[in-house]
Amino acid sequence: MFDKKTLEEGKKLSQEWQDICEKRYPGKDFSSTTNSGIPIKSVYTPLDVEHINYANDIGLPGIYPYMRDNYAIHYQFQPWINQQTHGYGLPEHTRERMDALAKAGMKGYFGGRAYNLVWDLPSYAGIDPDEPEAIGYIGKDGVSCVTDEDVDRMLHDLDLTKTNVVLINADTLPIFAHFIAYADQKSVPRDKLRGNTMNWQFTAWWLPSMLWDPEGGLKLATDLIQFCCKEMPGWNHTNFESHAISEMGANAVQQMAFGIATAMAVADSCVNAGIDPDAFMPGMGFQIANCNDLFEYICMFRAWRRLWARIAHEKYGCKKPSSMHLRVHTHTSCYELTKQQPLVNLIRTTLHALGAVFSGTTAMELPSYDEPIGIPTEEAAILSLRIQQVILEETGVTKVTDPLAGSYYVECLTNKIEEEGKKVLKQIDDMGGFMKALKGGWLVSQCRENALKWRRQVDSGERAVIGWNKFTVEEEEKIRPFRVDPEVARIAIERIKKYKAERNQAKTDAALRNLVAAAERLDKGEYGVVMPAAIEAAKAKATCGEISKALKKVFKWGPNYSSQTSY
Amino acid sequence: MGKHILEGHDRGGKTVIRMLRDAGVEVIYIIYGVPEDIVMAAKQEDVDVIGLSFFSGGYFENVPRLMKLMEQNNMKDVIIIIGGLIPDVDEPELLKMGVKGVFGPGSDLTKFIDMVKSHAEARV
Repeated sequence: MFDKKTLEEGKKLSQEWQDICEKRYPGKDFSSTTNSGIPIKSVYTPLDVEHINYANDIGLPGIYPYMRDNYAIHYQFQPWINQQTHGYGLPEHTRERMDALAKAGMKGYFGGRAYNLVWDLPSYAGIDPDEPEAIGYIGKDGVSCVTDEDVDRMLHDLDLTKTNVVLINADTLPIFAHFIAYADQKSVPRDKLRGNTMNWQFTAWWLPSMLWDPEGGLKLATDLIQFCCKEMPGWNHTNFESHAISEMGANAVQQMAFGIATAMAVADSCVNAGIDPDAFMPGMGFQIANCNDLFEYICMFRAWRRLWARIAHEKYGCKKPSSMHLRVHTHTSCYELTKQQPLVNLIRTTLHALGAVFSGTTAMELPSYDEPIGIPTEEAAILSLRIQQVILEETGVTKVTDPLAGSYYVECLTNKIEEEGKKVLKQIDDMGGFMKALKGGWLVSQCRENALKWRRQVDSGERAVIGWNKFTVEEEEKIRPFRVDPEVARIAIERIKKYKAERNQAKTDAALRNLVAAAERLDKGEYGVVMPAAIEAAKAKATCGEISKALKKVFKWGPNYSSQTSY
Repeated sequence: MGKHILEGHDRGGKTVIRMLRDAGVEVIYIIYGVPEDIVMAAKQEDVDVIGLSFFSGGYFENVPRLMKLMEQNNMKDVIIIIGGLIPDVDEPELLKMGVKGVFGPGSDLTKFIDMVKSHAEARV
């Protein structure tokens, strides 16, 4: 990046600096490592980046390989989308929170409405409120919404062509079917719907407990993608939950490498199903965590954008820029937040969010300061939104895209993280591929080891956590967690019983039989058949749990013991 | 040690299992759907302590039922310890129900391990 003369002068200056250090701090070593263990020095110079080719490796925003940003002009034209996660209780309770956040200024692209809606844990597993396993979990961590009537209770009077709706649910297919059934009822053209499904049937393997066996889950995920490419090209069909990998213990390098490896497994499956990469890649996005090591996570983000663009172009032959873009929903670190002195979490999250903005994120949700004890109160949820608003409106950091580019340290570390990430990807290949690394428990055990190491460092005091092991206080005020109305479970159960009693049972049964037949066809390798059958089942008033159960007759589902036993 | 089938995030639970194992405690880990599953496993394995990890509530609905089942199955000498995302304000009620220990975020794990070990030693 520099001419010979500059480098020569640089060497002389570095020698002078070295001499000062030895004289002023004799025998001391100030080098260190990043959180993921990459060695770093206390200062960087042009000599550290002399091998970097500006045009090929750094370049400009909006130009391949997009390391600096997906877009030529980013926040100056269009800020990130506010995607504060919300959802609890009954659909109408969630609607109250949706309206409160919208009133507080939560915005999607071009000022549109955007809702990042999370379902409760029974829904995550395709279990209806009237089943015994749901006891204690109905509407607790997200909304209990399992029929088209529930969708209406939540989304009524919203113009779906102008509303971005994210459906956060591990068992994605049933609620997506009800959402589309609802849109059909309202005569909203499917290709006008905007938003995101998680499509975690496959990737939920990262979240232990309940899930599809990976082979079956991959087929279900690919089926949904096939359907979206055909009928809903503007819909973001798949979200790769790298944030969960980070929460499990993965460091920055692993978060990137494991996230990319997961995405490639899905992309390979789509290619095998005969879908054009330029059709399915634009609907894929990543959920990425910015954590405490501010610069390492910014560099991870930049390296990730470049690596993903090159994989999309070189491996999958993508030609459209949107196929090569790394679309990122930032979900900042949760495991680093503390129950102790909880208001300090606002400061941590502000720094994580600032890192994400320096990285050029395209959407952002921030955990609330009270999340170490539960889901947010309205006040806490709005404060998290305020962090986003203060960064956007007051700090001026959005005036320049990729403002840290060209920093000797940032460019050097970005390259280093990419190199380390590639090594991990090769390691997975050498192991026999992603599926083996996943099912054999290697990927999960890598995360668990880090989580354990982290906890030991906290316990020994080697790692400082303010308020927990450093600068603690004797007595703390006990903050009250957000509580869902205890009546929620009873009402949800009553509603689903009524829904089942009032429907044309013969019609529902027939639709569910057709769905099982479609699942059998999918199992034999025919894609794009399950989603249409699931929508028909939703229209025939089959609940989310029933749709899920029909699929479970064909695809294996259950606890993920291989990941569970990888301590 | 048990975790409900619906609960995904298990960083804390798994860390605790490793620490117990390193302290010489044998840990049986189950994923349960209903409290009956916990009692069945606990009886089969003749455990000293039942540890339950929660990140999403569920304890006020499931623990009383578990206690009742334990009473019916003559498991009065088995203690229940709860950990995870438990707000401080819930601790007194859980203890009143008969839960022996509540270990929320950032708890001192040496105290937890001591509680497990001392009960196991006393029970033998």
